[in-house]
Amino acid sequence: MLSALLLLEHIKNQGVTDVVGLPDNGSRALFEALCIDSSVRVINVSREGETFAIASGLYLGGRKPIVIIQNTGFLETGDAFRGTSYNMAIPIVMIMGYRGYKTMAPGSERVDTAATFLEPTLNAWNIPYSLLLADEEIEPQLNDAFSKAEATSLPAAVLLGCDTE
Amino acid sequence: MLNKYDCLEKLAAYRNPNDIVVTTMSVAMPWASISDGPLDFASVDSAMGHAADFAYGLALAQPDRRVITLNGDGSTLMCLGTLVTLSQHPTPNYTLVITENGTYEVTGNQPVPGNNVIDYETIARGAGLTEVHTISDVDDFDTKLPLHFLAQGPAVFVWKIERSSEPVPKTRQPIAERAHRLRDALI
Repeated sequence: MLSALLLLEHIKNQGVTDVVGLPDNGSRALFEALCIDSSVRVINVSREGETFAIASGLYLGGRKPIVIIQNTGFLETGDAFRGTSYNMAIPIVMIMGYRGYKTMAPGSERVDTAATFLEPTLNAWNIPYSLLLADEEIEPQLNDAFSKAEATSLPAAVLLGCDTE
Repeated sequence: MLNKYDCLEKLAAYRNPNDIVVTTMSVAMPWASISDGPLDFASVDSAMGHAADFAYGLALAQPDRRVITLNGDGSTLMCLGTLVTLSQHPTPNYTLVITENGTYEVTGNQPVPGNNVIDYETIARGAGLTEVHTISDVDDFDTKLPLHFLAQGPAVFVWKIERSSEPVPKTRQPIAERAHRLRDALI
């Protein structure tokens, strides 16, 4: 499990002003912490495709947003992601719940296709990403994601390999 | 019914120079022929259905400016949930115009789903938005023109417009260049 409070602390340390997203089981505790903290504005959306459009508008207007969605939602965003953040060259960091990650372990009873298709999709988009599995990796992985996003003026991702608590 | 081109001319004449105008699809090029400055953003070569939510992000970031989105009915249908998103986090400076002609104009005026039954005002009100107006004649448009800029947002205006035949919009600059031109003008 990942500490939601530690993750929130490092999100704030990056100067993030807005979280645009939709909670999943993995990010549930993080969203709850965000709602209590209130120093970062949370914009909940109706469908994940909206996240990249709204975040792009926020960025162009001078804010520093991030996107928090599940991998299933990222697969849904396809054209919205391409047409807004990607085409507009917006350095958005996304934190993504990795549904099904554990089902890809050898010997697992079944494989969740949400996990199967995630990393190939990120690679197809040429999106840099890292897999977050431990609290001590939160700070360096967020630093790296924000640095890469700024350097390329394109999105970068941190994948939540386990749930927040 | 309203004439789209006349409405755009009137909207442009009334606009404050600091207002942001986001356009898409069959409105993008007609608007660009009237106004094409850094605060005019054509959501072209982007993602159909995502002009309204993109503009909403701008409105959240720039609360001292009016942000007006000129969206189509087909584009609105592609992301109806955005109406709910707007009502959850109200932005007083946001105006959404739905230009309703019942068709996908730039691909040859094929009918949009539900074009003969849909009521966008009812949908918007059902989503929790209260400042919603449907306008179908010129006198009503002239009366409500100031509200597009002054109403407490999120405000929605449904323009019942005549069909026309705009081609697929094309812009001179790539979308990234236009986006960062907008950012440079805002910050």
